[in-house]
Amino acid sequence: MRTIGIIVVFACFLNSCGKEKVGYRPTPYTLEIPSHFPAMNIPADNPMTVEGVELGRHLFYEKRLSGNDMMSCAACHTAFTSFSDSAKYSRGIDGIQGTRNAMALINLGWDSFFFWDGRAITLEQQILEPVPNPIEMHLSWKEAVSKLKKDTYYRNQFYKAFGVVDFDSTHAAKAIAQFIRTMISGRSKFDVMYKIENNLPLSAWDQSVQITNEEWAGYDLFKSLNGADCFHCHNGPLMRVAKFSNNGLDESFSDLGRGAVTKNANDNGKFKVPTLRNIALTAPYMHDGRFKTLDEVIEHYSSGVHMSPTIDPLIEFANQGGVQLDAQEKQLLKAFLMTLTDLEFVNNPKFQDPH
Amino acid sequence: MKIIWIALFVVAISACKPKPIDPPPAPPETVRILVNPTFASNALMLDSIYQGPNGIRIKVSDIKFFTTLLGHQNNQLAEVAYFDFREKGNVLLDKAADYTKFPSLSMVMGVDTSLNHDDPSAFPNESPLNIVNAGSMHWGWNTGYIFISVEGKADTLNDGIDNFDLSFSYHIGTDLYQQPISFNNFSWVKTGEHQHTLSLELDMQSFFFNPLQPIDIPNEPFTHSGAGLGALTQKVTENFKNALQLP
Repeated sequence: MRTIGIIVVFACFLNSCGKEKVGYRPTPYTLEIPSHFPAMNIPADNPMTVEGVELGRHLFYEKRLSGNDMMSCAACHTAFTSFSDSAKYSRGIDGIQGTRNAMALINLGWDSFFFWDGRAITLEQQILEPVPNPIEMHLSWKEAVSKLKKDTYYRNQFYKAFGVVDFDSTHAAKAIAQFIRTMISGRSKFDVMYKIENNLPLSAWDQSVQITNEEWAGYDLFKSLNGADCFHCHNGPLMRVAKFSNNGLDESFSDLGRGAVTKNANDNGKFKVPTLRNIALTAPYMHDGRFKTLDEVIEHYSSGVHMSPTIDPLIEFANQGGVQLDAQEKQLLKAFLMTLTDLEFVNNPKFQDPH
Repeated sequence: MKIIWIALFVVAISACKPKPIDPPPAPPETVRILVNPTFASNALMLDSIYQGPNGIRIKVSDIKFFTTLLGHQNNQLAEVAYFDFREKGNVLLDKAADYTKFPSLSMVMGVDTSLNHDDPSAFPNESPLNIVNAGSMHWGWNTGYIFISVEGKADTLNDGIDNFDLSFSYHIGTDLYQQPISFNNFSWVKTGEHQHTLSLELDMQSFFFNPLQPIDIPNEPFTHSGAGLGALTQKVTENFKNALQLP
């Protein structure tokens, strides 16, 4: 008896050294990154887990994150618009309109700055903003977390995802960030064109895709320096470059954009260059949603460019108002832009409302 | 029996003690290469106004370039180094290396052909050639990377009124315009306990207004290294190379 007692005491001592939390065994999540995409940088303090992604999806569609329990992130980032807002300006729970068009959530795992003015430098940081913003969801994170803690599902899921009982806004932001990092669009006609152009292996699905001559001609025009000259700011598999640009919308600025963040007049009128993926689904366009259709956007770059002190030097034909496309060229360019549509992305059941 | 109890207690307590911490390893020796843009003898500030000998006034908004295969003889210092004055400041390279192995430096101004047409998504995440990092400095697999990019605006009327309405954009790329460049007879300067630095100067006055072949900005505001602008592209390439010098 005494020997057993000694063994029990000894085992207790040894166990007391362990730090592992009971029941916390998150499952690593493997991202499905298209073969022609770069690897994604995942923050060391927020590794992807199955439990975290699933929690993030629930939170993304969680209306209790708003002051009146009526609005979730998805209210301004709806799936059928490629997770953007079809309204020019989104309205918050108090009916107050924002001042910029909600950006589409596509391939954000590769971005290094967020919002039109780049004021957030991590996805987690960006996610923390809309909930307490009085013109958006208008609820303090303290109250939001308090609501979530009353729900058994969330208590369990936060524990499964992060091993915490006393979770807070940072855990919520991490989970939503994990979910958004899974929102990868890389299966459009354009992706097949990109692979063909660069002699990359084609999958069976790729080989079944028919690219028209009009679409190829539009792609050539898109890349041509003497044509539409779009590729300086929209290139590579992500269809964007990481920069801020004044693309000639105005001669003077009612919204300073990046300049309001940096307080540098040389940044006035500059906004984040967005991806063109799913561009046919994300109307209206530009930071202020001023263009309702792709035709209006093409017309802007063709003949509507305004000179200003900070206009991007890459808009080489700004002096003459734009690249001066004729009617056929505009049609070809539009045909190419339509190839960037990835319906599998917007219809992916993994991105839909779980509630 | 008491002895056994005591022994077990001591063992159990000892098991919980943190292991002694090894002393931290000595920091690695690092080298830095800095490029300091100037306009004549003054430090160049982006978006500031500078006047050339012909009265034309310019504002430079971006200076970016790639160099590849940096090293000395068979010692490679780095496969690639990327300079982006606006986003990264004046640091061209900062990495662990023994400076004594590099008494002189040679490199390719631009992206060597062996790298220029590789899949830009396949480079490691930290590589400047990865498409996420290269961004606007990549044209496509066939054409490859933009080796040198100088962008800005010019006021072509010498009337005292600020009217920078002419954009210029010099983009040098394609294998044809790679060029070797080397730096000899310099000394690494000790800038930290484990750090040595080589500083270079990039004289943008010499770039734009080289006495032998000045860039005629009003009439030569753009090149993207296409066949139709070969002469300008060659001039920009040579001027840039010559503007990058030891102080």
